[in-house]
Amino acid sequence: MATVLELATAQPPALLKLDPALEAREQEWRTIYILPRVEPRIAALSTWQSHWKVEQSPVQQMDALLEIFCSGETLTFDHRFKPLNHLSDGIWELKTPDLRFFGWFPYKDCFIGGALDTAFNVKNHDLYRGYAREVAYHRQHLDLNEPKFIPGEDPKNVVTNYDFP
Amino acid sequence: MSLQITISPKERAAGRFVERVRRAVQKALAEEHAKSGLTQSDIARAIGVNRSVVSREIRGHKDLTLSRVAEIAWALGRRPAFDMVPTAVAPGVNVPPLVAAAVNPLSAHSGSQQAGLPARPGLSPARSHLPDELKAILNNITVIGSAA
Repeated sequence: MATVLELATAQPPALLKLDPALEAREQEWRTIYILPRVEPRIAALSTWQSHWKVEQSPVQQMDALLEIFCSGETLTFDHRFKPLNHLSDGIWELKTPDLRFFGWFPYKDCFIGGALDTAFNVKNHDLYRGYAREVAYHRQHLDLNEPKFIPGEDPKNVVTNYDFP
Repeated sequence: MSLQITISPKERAAGRFVERVRRAVQKALAEEHAKSGLTQSDIARAIGVNRSVVSREIRGHKDLTLSRVAEIAWALGRRPAFDMVPTAVAPGVNVPPLVAAAVNPLSAHSGSQQAGLPARPGLSPARSHLPDELKAILNNITVIGSAA
């Protein structure tokens, strides 16, 4: 059993930390790690196209999400725009218009991503339940200290500065 | 080991700017809704479009034009503020004042690796840099309330 930090510094690492490339004088208040299995998806992001054909490409959406999440900004101003949604059994999705990023919170303000897909694929093939189960499976088999995740579906339990006001 | 997504500084600047503008609009809408009960339907009616258009624009499913930002601000009784100011950089902050960043925007520093790129020992791959002016824009987009 190990901590998140130990898993991220192990050889080979069991977790990879996403660097949000924050701007000058920005503090990283929240962190995002991924399972190594997600890295190919992260690497492929720059080739993905927006289903909505908007100017903000999926990789730009992910970059902006990383900045907002990790800089500790208010995550949502209105329930209609919420970028964080609970699925089941402590599995959450971080959302952008084109992306769905599935994972869990081992402790407050630390998200571990276990799967990434396009919103189009997820919705079109109804993959929410499948991804929730898949990520829960990988969470269970990760050599992470207990408790491995924060249970419940209240976003205020898993992130600080969740909503407005 | 940390990992950065593969994105050019130019794309990063643009993407973060778009997001910041949209969030400023979302925040203004939420504030006005809390204050006076104004809804997206009210905004849509005021500017003469279908509510679904405003909804898609605010959710990021449709591009938000500068004109539309101004129209929504007008409907909210606000005005958008926009400024382009140079950003101060200093040693010890996240974005070091590297001239190299301007010469080679994909040049890297400090210990992380871009996704999809092989690690190159000794070359310290990864962090890309925003041009100072664009960072300043991102930090200064707000929708300012006008006199009620």
